[in-house]
Amino acid sequence: MNKKSVITGLMATSLVMTALVGCSSKTADTQDTASKDEKITLRVGGWSSSPEEQAMLDKQIAGFKSAHPNVEVKFEPVVGDYLQKLQPMIASKTEPDLFYLDAYAAPEFMEKGVIEPIDDLLKKHNVNLSDYEDAAVKAFQSNNKTYGLAKDYNTLALFYNKELFEKAGITSPPKTWTELQDDAKKLTKDGVTGFSISAELPRYQPFLYQAGGTVYADGKATLTKSENETAINFIYDQMMKKDKSAAIPKTLGKDWAGDAFADSKAAMVVEGSWLIPHVAKKSPSLKYGIVELPVKEGAKPSNMIFTVAYALSKNSKHKDEAIDLMAYLTGKEGQKITVEGGLALPTIKEMGKDYLTKYPEREAFVKGASYALPYQYGTMGVKLVDAMNKASEAVVLGAKADAKAALAEAQTKIQ
Amino acid sequence: MRTRGDLATGYLFVLPVVVSLAVFLIGPILYALYISFHHFSFLAPDQATFAGLDNYLKLFKDPRFIRALGNTSLYSLGVVPIQIAIALMLALIVDAKIKGKTLFRVVYFLPTVTSTVAVSVMFMYLFKNDGLVNFVLSKLSIPTFDWFNSLTFALPAVMMMAIWTTVGQFMVIYLAGLQDIPQELYEAAEVDGATPWQRLRFITWPMLKPTTFFILIMSIIGTFQVFDQMYVISKGEGGPQDRTLTVVFYLYRAAFKDFDMGYASAMAFALFLIILLLTIIQRKFFKEETN
Repeated sequence: MNKKSVITGLMATSLVMTALVGCSSKTADTQDTASKDEKITLRVGGWSSSPEEQAMLDKQIAGFKSAHPNVEVKFEPVVGDYLQKLQPMIASKTEPDLFYLDAYAAPEFMEKGVIEPIDDLLKKHNVNLSDYEDAAVKAFQSNNKTYGLAKDYNTLALFYNKELFEKAGITSPPKTWTELQDDAKKLTKDGVTGFSISAELPRYQPFLYQAGGTVYADGKATLTKSENETAINFIYDQMMKKDKSAAIPKTLGKDWAGDAFADSKAAMVVEGSWLIPHVAKKSPSLKYGIVELPVKEGAKPSNMIFTVAYALSKNSKHKDEAIDLMAYLTGKEGQKITVEGGLALPTIKEMGKDYLTKYPEREAFVKGASYALPYQYGTMGVKLVDAMNKASEAVVLGAKADAKAALAEAQTKIQ
Repeated sequence: MRTRGDLATGYLFVLPVVVSLAVFLIGPILYALYISFHHFSFLAPDQATFAGLDNYLKLFKDPRFIRALGNTSLYSLGVVPIQIAIALMLALIVDAKIKGKTLFRVVYFLPTVTSTVAVSVMFMYLFKNDGLVNFVLSKLSIPTFDWFNSLTFALPAVMMMAIWTTVGQFMVIYLAGLQDIPQELYEAAEVDGATPWQRLRFITWPMLKPTTFFILIMSIIGTFQVFDQMYVISKGEGGPQDRTLTVVFYLYRAAFKDFDMGYASAMAFALFLIILLLTIIQRKFFKEETN
């Protein structure tokens, strides 16, 4: 009797222990180094923001596989917060061989040295960095080392609703701040708001820089620079609160300005080329134009580049094959599919022309790239953007009297 | 008769639970305590440096943490009493001899079993600037607000939602408490000519004291740990001017957005101490009352 219960107890324990051990030995499948004819598996990590984007990546991966039959490529999409998932994976050395890395988060990863510098591997595999757009290359370089190849990029432009413009008797889209302000006033009627822009730095930064402002210079945040107030006051105080000819998307009951544009609730918005498929899906008959951002009188134009690269895991067992894949996905063959998909712009300089031949009406994005700054602020990116978003929001909501007070608080938040 | 063998068998049987608790609960808690004294990023755990009390001292100087703690306290102060009052009221209603009380019980309990995210999305539609609530208000000529985007109304709107969601759960606990009260007490009171109000005041309420104590503690802990509603409604940003930023939400942001796991762990322990303190105070208070 007694013996029997000991055995039962032992069995129960060992069962649980097996279950526990089973949890921790999942990642052994990429351990062995492969010889030429042995099949290896490369894991690619990223997010999947739309079915269109997923279909593009599937096509790219299929193209690579037909050229490299011994390599199996597995895409592992992260649902939800990407960085939250990626961090523990890196800490436990189980991250995919290649993974998406946004320029905005890249400095933290590069500085901590948790991703592999790829300069030597690129040389070995004959990949030429000078083929890529300079801003997209620089976004993934730190201390003269390169940490990733940008897969595509986006810039900002002004989208305007042609029908609403006609109704308001405006013949051409605004080129200056004054024109923007006047046009917005004329367009604001019958449930339409002239201009919509969210209270977020990655939308209003071009205006802020046009007015001579800077938010980040030489590794330091420069939020309280007095020139920074000009654009915030102009958009969020003058246009939104005084003229009432502009609004943040939430006021229009929308999550983002692009959606307000697609529903003809806003006549002008500042967005990237990601808005094009959204409009095509939601209101296919909408007639609109895309032009470069309005520039402050007598000032230089400014724009920003949003880009995502493939980074190489330090713990990858197949670095050579992974670089081949990276070079393919971001190379001419891979980016040909990017151009066809039309969700973003190709980072290979030569292919910019192909993009323009295919989409001449999207010239503003390519032009914008020539004077754009990467969306990147060193390792303080997250805090800086957050503080600047709250500063512009404080002006809209009236939590702070003016931009000066809002920016002063923003600066204290990131110190 | 107890033998050494029996003892061994006993220990063997509890071993799985002890081991899994140690691995998945106590281990991580101790590790978090260790991390809270370090400058620690999840990206590079091997580069962690000892920080002493830095992370804890930073809590007192960080305006966002103070704002988050303020929001959380306000949220708790608003939600807990209303929640308890409504839960008790509902329990009394569905405990009474009315028609279709099973249906009411189910209806009141439904929000509790609905996912918080689904509820949050639903409330976002209701409280949108052009949503249903504003539509009704405008029909009644009452001024409308951009609820979740307003400095004044963002937090109260979330409070309403929290009360609506969790009240059913506490109603069920109260219901169990009500059914534990011996019927003789009410009969005796009736013989003495007690009014319904007196019966509630002098029998039901005192007899429910242990239940109320339990609900109070659960509700306070729940409100101090609130995260998902805030996360969904503010899209991970903390709401207008951080008006719906709570401690756990800020902790999450510090850990996974600012890459500062050390500071986030310190926040977790600060929150633990606050909840512990509140619970001890309530325990004392309730004990004195019963004596």
